[in-house]
Amino acid sequence: MENILECQNLVKFFPGCLALNSVNLTVPRGKIVGLLGPNGSGKSTLIKLANGLITPTSGKILINGMEPGIETKKIVSYLPERTYLNDWMTVNNMIEFFCDFYENFNKQKAYEMLKKLGVDPAQRLKTMSKGTKEKVQLILVMSREAELYLLDEPIGGVDPAARDYILDTIIGNYNENASIIISTHLISDVEKILDGIIFINKGSIVLTSTVDDIREHENKSVDTLFREVFKC
Amino acid sequence: MLGKLLKYEIKATSRTFLPMYALLIVFALLNKFFMAVNADYLRIPQIIAMSVFVVIIVGICVMTLIVTIQRFNKNLLTDEGYLSFTLPVKAHAHIDSKMIVSLMWSLLSVIVSFIAIFVMAVNEKTIQGIHEFLAQAVPAFNSLGASGYVILLEGIVLVIIATLGSIVTIYAAITIGNMSSKHKLLAGLGAYLGFGIIEQIVASVIITSFGGTFQRYFESLNRATMSAQIGAVQLVMLWMILYTLFFGALYYILTNWMLQRKLNLE
Repeated sequence: MENILECQNLVKFFPGCLALNSVNLTVPRGKIVGLLGPNGSGKSTLIKLANGLITPTSGKILINGMEPGIETKKIVSYLPERTYLNDWMTVNNMIEFFCDFYENFNKQKAYEMLKKLGVDPAQRLKTMSKGTKEKVQLILVMSREAELYLLDEPIGGVDPAARDYILDTIIGNYNENASIIISTHLISDVEKILDGIIFINKGSIVLTSTVDDIREHENKSVDTLFREVFKC
Repeated sequence: MLGKLLKYEIKATSRTFLPMYALLIVFALLNKFFMAVNADYLRIPQIIAMSVFVVIIVGICVMTLIVTIQRFNKNLLTDEGYLSFTLPVKAHAHIDSKMIVSLMWSLLSVIVSFIAIFVMAVNEKTIQGIHEFLAQAVPAFNSLGASGYVILLEGIVLVIIATLGSIVTIYAAITIGNMSSKHKLLAGLGAYLGFGIIEQIVASVIITSFGGTFQRYFESLNRATMSAQIGAVQLVMLWMILYTLFFGALYYILTNWMLQRKLNLE
């Protein structure tokens, strides 16, 4: 299976709002792809569909050729845009929890990253700041040796210094068979690690391209192109 | 995977229950002490300790219900659901683990409350009373022969099925409530009342359709032999189990289907 993610005429309708309008999309293995679009464009909806947290109105979404289910959840590592951690647990508890449920969780990697970012593993999540919680969550997600990482706004809440470290860990940590989809509007920050981009607006795919193509043919940065395409 | 889910479910809920149980036992002992001393100058603390004891028992009952609702709703249908539903486990494993742990706390709460009351009230008189009761009850039970055990077993099964049934009714109502995008609480309550009404309707349809048959059956029992009457008790219990099981299974299937096919986390 060459494509890790594939959408076929994917439609998601919420009461009073068409969130995704017949999306056709493929993401190959071994790529870091930016899912870029303004607020409310359908980025999170697409990612949630890929995780089976919401069900499509019509069409199909396939991960490694399978519809979302137990088998896809084993190979997908998902970072939601909100904190999903039980606040009474400590970081140690959370690591144990991930170890218990995900066979591909690398405990050692998690502790290394925690140390690097100065997070105390014995601390309760309740007493942490929002940014620290986000760091912990990202560390947990990136410590899995998954085949597809779906990162929804991974760097929105953390400071720029940690942002660089996180992006470095993202590219340093994944193997060449895995793909990463990063949804964000902080384009200039992530641009340097992206291989490809997907522009999405009002539930439709506007443009898919590789970053090299944009630089060569349009002679622009992704950030500039984004500003042009989505000009208000 | 069910084992792991159970482990974390127990971990998450025992934080609430174990301190409550400990507190209950402490107050049971305190009350026992006051009763033993039985001094006039301790009358007011004694009354307070007794009131607190009652409040804790009521609190444990309420807590059991709240935790049942809260764990299902919070862990599956709010932010925490983002983690729960991306774990590589089947939807029904979530229902099973939560149902089993809720059942466990429900039974444990009753047992601990009885133990606390027993600890508090036990003295020579009550022990004698229990001896007298057993002296009469055991021979009566033995006279039933094997049927006695069957009825006892049916009773236990019925209690368990009925508890699981009411837990899963709550789950189904919460899940339906969650389908509404704006008024989740209201929709959930509405669904719960709706289930009650449907069950009432089914029950009244059964009674009006077969009421005459039931009446004739029970009247005939008045003149029947002892063993026939015992057999009738067994049969009625069995029907009650099947009836409760039927509705419980419906709610279970409904909840599982919605979590699998209709999940829409915000």
